[in-house]
Amino acid sequence: MKNRTNPLALMAFVLILQHIAGQVDAAERVKTGSSGTLRSESPETIDVRYQSYNSKELPDFQKHVIPLLGKLGCNGRSCHGSFQGRGGFQLSLFGYDFKADHLALLDESSGRVDLDDVDESLLLAKPLDADFHEGGQRFKDGSWKHHVLKSWISNGAIGTGSVPHTLKRLEIQPSQIELSNPSKVVSLRVLAHWKDGSTEDVTILSRFQSNDEAIATVSDVGEVSIGESGDTHVVVSYDNAVVAVPVIRPYPGRSKIQVDQSSHPIDRLVMQKLRKLNIQPSARCTDAEFVRRVSLDIAGILPAPDVVESFLKDKSPSKRERLIDSLLESDGYAAWWATRFSDWTGNSDEQLSNALPVRSGATRLWHEWLRNRIAANVPYDQIVEGIVTAESRNANESYLEYCEAMSAACQPGKESQFAKREGLPLFWARRNFQTPEDRAIGFSYTFLGVRIECAQCHKHPFDKWSKDDFENFAKLFSPIRVNQNLVSNEAKKDREQLITQITGDKKLKGADLRRALYDAAKRGDTLPFGELLVTTSQISDRQKRAMALAKKQGRTFTAPAVPTGKILGQLEPIELDHDPRKDLMDWLRSPDNPYFAKAIINRVWANYFGIGLVDPTDDMNLANPPSNEPLIEFLAEKFIEQGFDLKWLHRTIVTSDTYQRSVVTNATNVQDLTNFSHHIPRRLPAEVIYDAVVLATGSDIQAARLRDELDSMAIADGKPKRRNQQDFALEIFGQSTRESNCDCDRSNSPSLLQAVYLRNDEEMHNRLLDSKGWVAQACKEAGIEAPKNIKDASFRTAYNRANSLRKQILANVGRYKQATKTQQNKRRSQLESELRRSKIKLESLGFQMPSVLALLETDDDWDSLERALPKMADIGDLESLIDQAYLRVLCRYPESDEKKISLEYIQDSENPGEGVMSLLWALVNTKEFIVSH
Amino acid sequence: MQEHKTCDGMKRRDLLKVGALSLGGLTLPQYLALAGNGKIASGRADRAIFIELPGGPSHLDTFDLKPNAPSEYRGAFNPIKTNVPGIEISEHLPRLSKVADKFCILRGVSHTLAAHRLGREYVNTGTKPIPALEYPSYGAVVSKERPVEPEIPSVVAVPRASQGPGFLGIRYAALETNSTPSPNTFFSVRGISLPEGIGVHEVNRRQQLLKKLDRRFADLQDSDQLLEGLDQFSSQAHSVITSSRARQAFDISQEPESFAQQFGDESFGQSCLLALRLVESGVRLVSVQLGGWDTHQDNFSKLKNNNLPKLDVGLSGLLSGLDQRGLLESTAVFVTGEFGRTPKINQRSAEGGRDHYPRCMFMLMAGGGVRGGQVIGESDATASGPKHEAITPDDVAASFYHNLGINPSTEFNSSTGRPITLVRDGSIIQQLFS
Repeated sequence: MKNRTNPLALMAFVLILQHIAGQVDAAERVKTGSSGTLRSESPETIDVRYQSYNSKELPDFQKHVIPLLGKLGCNGRSCHGSFQGRGGFQLSLFGYDFKADHLALLDESSGRVDLDDVDESLLLAKPLDADFHEGGQRFKDGSWKHHVLKSWISNGAIGTGSVPHTLKRLEIQPSQIELSNPSKVVSLRVLAHWKDGSTEDVTILSRFQSNDEAIATVSDVGEVSIGESGDTHVVVSYDNAVVAVPVIRPYPGRSKIQVDQSSHPIDRLVMQKLRKLNIQPSARCTDAEFVRRVSLDIAGILPAPDVVESFLKDKSPSKRERLIDSLLESDGYAAWWATRFSDWTGNSDEQLSNALPVRSGATRLWHEWLRNRIAANVPYDQIVEGIVTAESRNANESYLEYCEAMSAACQPGKESQFAKREGLPLFWARRNFQTPEDRAIGFSYTFLGVRIECAQCHKHPFDKWSKDDFENFAKLFSPIRVNQNLVSNEAKKDREQLITQITGDKKLKGADLRRALYDAAKRGDTLPFGELLVTTSQISDRQKRAMALAKKQGRTFTAPAVPTGKILGQLEPIELDHDPRKDLMDWLRSPDNPYFAKAIINRVWANYFGIGLVDPTDDMNLANPPSNEPLIEFLAEKFIEQGFDLKWLHRTIVTSDTYQRSVVTNATNVQDLTNFSHHIPRRLPAEVIYDAVVLATGSDIQAARLRDELDSMAIADGKPKRRNQQDFALEIFGQSTRESNCDCDRSNSPSLLQAVYLRNDEEMHNRLLDSKGWVAQACKEAGIEAPKNIKDASFRTAYNRANSLRKQILANVGRYKQATKTQQNKRRSQLESELRRSKIKLESLGFQMPSVLALLETDDDWDSLERALPKMADIGDLESLIDQAYLRVLCRYPESDEKKISLEYIQDSENPGEGVMSLLWALVNTKEFIVSH
Repeated sequence: MQEHKTCDGMKRRDLLKVGALSLGGLTLPQYLALAGNGKIASGRADRAIFIELPGGPSHLDTFDLKPNAPSEYRGAFNPIKTNVPGIEISEHLPRLSKVADKFCILRGVSHTLAAHRLGREYVNTGTKPIPALEYPSYGAVVSKERPVEPEIPSVVAVPRASQGPGFLGIRYAALETNSTPSPNTFFSVRGISLPEGIGVHEVNRRQQLLKKLDRRFADLQDSDQLLEGLDQFSSQAHSVITSSRARQAFDISQEPESFAQQFGDESFGQSCLLALRLVESGVRLVSVQLGGWDTHQDNFSKLKNNNLPKLDVGLSGLLSGLDQRGLLESTAVFVTGEFGRTPKINQRSAEGGRDHYPRCMFMLMAGGGVRGGQVIGESDATASGPKHEAITPDDVAASFYHNLGINPSTEFNSSTGRPITLVRDGSIIQQLFS
């Protein structure tokens, strides 16, 4: 801004002179109002207006003073924005708490503002470093910044009225930047359009930040320079507005982008962006890659070998679409997505302790309730409605009927009865969802994908939310109460009666009562369940009577105000004289809601691409715009149009070429991580890996049973985290802890412990050595001996039996050897046939026996058992076994050299069974196995 | 991919840079100036052993005796002289009395949390527990700040960690042994040791096979962080599993009898021996536990017959052993329970007991830059509270980190991007390092 051309400065100077001379007419002044701008369209910026201190203009606290302090860094967290303040002076973090900031500035003890001796004001002396300032000198004596603050103080240091000015729009020019030349700089211009009609160039008062400094940097005054190829945003903040300006640097090269014309809307919108970036997307993935990827992504289950084989053989052009349809109809889809929804809705055993009068199982009910709806493809908004507006009782259900139904549903295995119930009040019963503040945070996280928590203490640094917005939003949640001992008034008697039926005349409380209830639950008694209640502050009957009386007598009677709350971003307050959850739900599903549809679309998208259109997936804010705005807008619009049809959303995503891209990159897209130009490998989710390991190492029968029944599978929430225990493998692979309102409760990052587990954990060894596992099955089929687990009971039994047989034989042989020649001759042939039978018996147990001759004629004392000599398998058998191993683990046939390596390895092994086991071990430990590709 | 941002508008990556430099009350230049002047002596430990005494040991009967207090406070034990003139400890710690020059006693340490779990979380993190956020264990922090070579785990808990990695994330979790070693017996850990029936030869052969078969993404490896990371962890896992270093580090049966005997036969002493072997092999931090201190009843017979002999043998063995191996100067040792016990003896059993008492407790520090043979802080006449200014668990934690060369004011980000100072309220106890 220092380079501003002279004519403008001259004009400004003239205007200032006019102003001083009182030449600005009255109408002009009115138009300016208190906003402090000289003219509604004044072209000169504040630095020019205050170049010299003869300005009589009154700087506005909200429009100029606070933004300037923000710009100077005064209200940052490490300075006076710290919650303890600094140097006896505290400002609201990132501003926008004008009342508090004004109070702090004018607080006499802080000495920041001295109206009598303006220059003594620490607000001037500190940043000038005239008085020692830990933060050092922030501006120079006689600078425009100095003048602005000084002028504000000398004009009486006036604050903001009870209602802040409304900033209608923050306009950035240009609204997007495309730059190829690193030596070129683009200057942003920031225009604040106020509701009062005035507009001011506030570039110099705005804060700028680049979301990726490798791609674009931005100076303090909004000059953007470009770095590496790619795209990012420069974020501009002023007042409560945060605007992200897209910045793009295309990848080099003038090669024309070659793509098959796709009519798919996702592909069209992705290509639009890729063309701008000069990125050539990767080709479509192979069928083998596709069948594995889409099965793991949609249903969370490794596809069965026969499914892979028949898909690979299928020549039909529509086979991918058909596979997608069958997966969306599969039980795995509903089970796995109910698990993901459980993550987002916070289905946690730990948070639900004491939510029900039964010992555990609340998480199973929750999962089943979701699974049931996802399987039936209930529209997303209706699923959410069942959660948001949940009542404990179904419509027209009495308290006793409710308790009977719940008692039955809480019996293990009867979860499906709960799933039929209308609502999921458990969502409201979580321990970490009880205060209005926790609910505001949790609700925003789950249904909006918004992290509102910053605004609990200060202005949200990346969004428009102020502390006020947060507080008003939180108030909406205060009427909802839920706990195990709470029931509506009319049900209290029934509840007492149920308790008496269980405890007899003993008055039990607390833990004793809980134990009695747990026991009753086991007996199948009807238990007293708690209810979700909404305590609204209606005008009481007495007040109504008083009002009527007052009216009659001609007096005015003001009823006490009904508390109100506000939905985020809505101006109209909601009176809390009724259950506000219906208003919340109406707002959620309204087509104008900027978050609701996008939050779920983004999470589903991230499941398929490893990264959301907005990343992180639960952090939608103005400073974190989607990487492809038209795409998320399109999906949101259509999703709502389709009646929040989840399967439509899944199908639309996975039928696109964009989803089906290969992992193989080219020179133009190898760097791209955010624009979906190729498949980016990601580590599979914890539950998917867990199940995949079990399926890959289990026998065909075991695997088929698991795939059929699902219930014990981790993806079906069969192994959720419990209060004090979590499955070791699921824990180290990052199963969601579902505790902190963050999608990062789930971790997909690799670790040393994970690698140690897959290679060497006892669980892994046991799976490989399982006599009912695949290694044993394959060895049997190939006619070779399976490796034995030393700890295996059946092996021990065989060993013991063989050993006692050995001792028996030795005893017989001993007796024979000590006998006289005659006796020996007499017994010889019978003994020989006995020994031959024993040999067959021993071999069937898997052990060797010395030859009959050696036993009878030599000194062989046969002091220990040796395992039967391994039988070498037929090469053809081994080759088909290797095919099977590849199919079941990696969902593809081995390449010819992979087959050769594997075959040689097995043949070189001392025991071919051990070789087969090592092959399965190696395949499960490949990167190919635990990543998507 | 975009990183989580903090409420300050700093990205995580920036924060790590800044975090390593910014200090609570001090600016970096101020800190450096102080450190340069020798006002804060630098820590010199490379590794640490954290000994936890869960249950809360009585300070009055161990390291803070009050022989002149009234009998309802004094207790049954007499003080004995140590090898440092002027320092006296309980008569049931005879071996420790001979190595008092090797450790420093902190008396009049004080806090307010009288429940086991909360107290433990406090002394295990140096920050008063808050519901919203779980602070990381010392081990997790050390593991993050001072990574080690691949074939050795960076943090080991014997047998289990009572504090998790908190907001730092599971990848910094301790490797838990899940059991304690016995004298002269081979010892191993989940996943680290090869199971019975599989030899190193076989594992190396498998590894060769894996290398040949795991090549699907060979050409992508360099451009993809995930694949690169998976490869690294995979080969690190192979090193840990097969390296004689990791396995031998855990195998205390390899210690010569002449050295091992000073650790006694109890599992605590053997755990101390294991801890010594592990830090010697390159593990950054080992935590060891000795429980049974919750002496509400029969305080004196329990201490005399059980806890004190175990602590005496194990800890003196550890300090002497570290010294004999030349490791004491590079190993920070920190011993603490979650609180002290009531100075006034209760009447719950014939001989009496002592209850939870956080207002006054002891802690021990040794090794690294810590000057042994001194007492820091003092309790009042009945050991009911600090006589002068209290030492807080925060101060001790700050000092422990400092001893390990970790700035206690380092800033980390929680999973939700909230910036958090490692030790919020503590300041380094400079006398420790004087």
